[in-house]
Amino acid sequence: MITWLAPVLWLSSAHADTTEAEACLRPKVWEGYAEGWGVRTMTSTEISDGKTRNYLITLYAGNEYRVQTCSDAGARDLDVLLYSDKGSVVARDNTVDREPVVTFTPSETGTYYLVVYHRAAAVPSGKAAVALAVVYR
Amino acid sequence: MSRTLPRPRWWSIVALVVACTGATEEVDPQADAPAGVNTEAPANPETPEVGTVEQMSKGAESVALVPSPIETQKALEASGIDTQLASLIPEHAFDLEAADTDHAAVRSGVVLADLLLTVKSAKKAEMIQRIDTIARGMEQLEGGDDIQSTLKEMRARIEADAVTRDELLQEFDELSGAVIPELRFNGQDRVVPLIQAGSWLEGANLVSRALEDVPDDRRGGGERLLKAPSVVDHFTTYVQTEGSDAAPEVVTKKLRETLGVLKALAEKTEPLTTEDLTAVTKATGDVLALL
Repeated sequence: MITWLAPVLWLSSAHADTTEAEACLRPKVWEGYAEGWGVRTMTSTEISDGKTRNYLITLYAGNEYRVQTCSDAGARDLDVLLYSDKGSVVARDNTVDREPVVTFTPSETGTYYLVVYHRAAAVPSGKAAVALAVVYR
Repeated sequence: MSRTLPRPRWWSIVALVVACTGATEEVDPQADAPAGVNTEAPANPETPEVGTVEQMSKGAESVALVPSPIETQKALEASGIDTQLASLIPEHAFDLEAADTDHAAVRSGVVLADLLLTVKSAKKAEMIQRIDTIARGMEQLEGGDDIQSTLKEMRARIEADAVTRDELLQEFDELSGAVIPELRFNGQDRVVPLIQAGSWLEGANLVSRALEDVPDDRRGGGERLLKAPSVVDHFTTYVQTEGSDAAPEVVTKKLRETLGVLKALAEKTEPLTTEDLTAVTKATGDVLALL
């Protein structure tokens, strides 16, 4: 009985694997150096199904920015959206995957809001580990 | 990937830290849904309901808030000002014995900014001295053994001419943007923001000095780089935190005053005047002189 339950418990707890997310993101960031991208920040987090994480982000006019993300197998669809300080969407990804990328060149220097949205989990109500990098050039 | 960087080790530091970090704030986009969010981009029915700006900023994390010194240099150039910030870096006379958190963290941030900005132009001895200063700061801040090993390894490769300046730029960039910000510093939450404050203050000082030499009508968007109220607010939160590890009052008082000056100017709707820039130079310079 216990043996049978173990996989079920594992799935329902939807253990998020930060290492997997980071392993996916790392080479993308390193490869970006060859194209002139530098790193503002790299970080990891966990997001539950249907939830978001919001980040304050300062962007400088004239620079090009890219937000790169990777999630572990806990996510089926992850989205990235960038909002202006007025609450308008200025950039977003339109893909159904777990490695969304958004590129944006602001015309105004200022504070923006980066929203990472765990739109659909692989397992209902599951969590996903998400690695996130903000790069610039 | 022909590089021989110790990246896996760096990332193992980061991974370990993330594993140990407490949960940060997660937002339920359906909770407190606003009457409507203004969207300039094509409407998408599946855009998450993130709420008003106030709701969005509530619980927003600041890990990506502070621009890097190199990013600032690029933005300055994009605004039409070619001044190399590295050429304006003064010879700092730091008191390396001042080991309280505020001193050590802000000082380390300043040196980190200098290291990044001068990576292409600094003499080998200067780079090594800066790495040693950062290593000293990391030790005082209880950054752990792994960061010491990383810095030691970097130092050895620089000394042996076993690394190019382009490679170093990438390594220092990662050090500043990914490795140090993810260190735990023995649970001292103020350390990373104060390190970033040091880098940002040094950048602000250099930018204001660069702009002072540019005629008003040619400053373009350069002066906007000094208008970052969210960044100033972020640092102020940590400077105002009191603790047994706080620096002597003279330092925190000056830091608070400087952030106050920067906040007031950041909120100015008109372009900054030469007098404003001089005020930034003085306010930031006063803090840097105390380190």
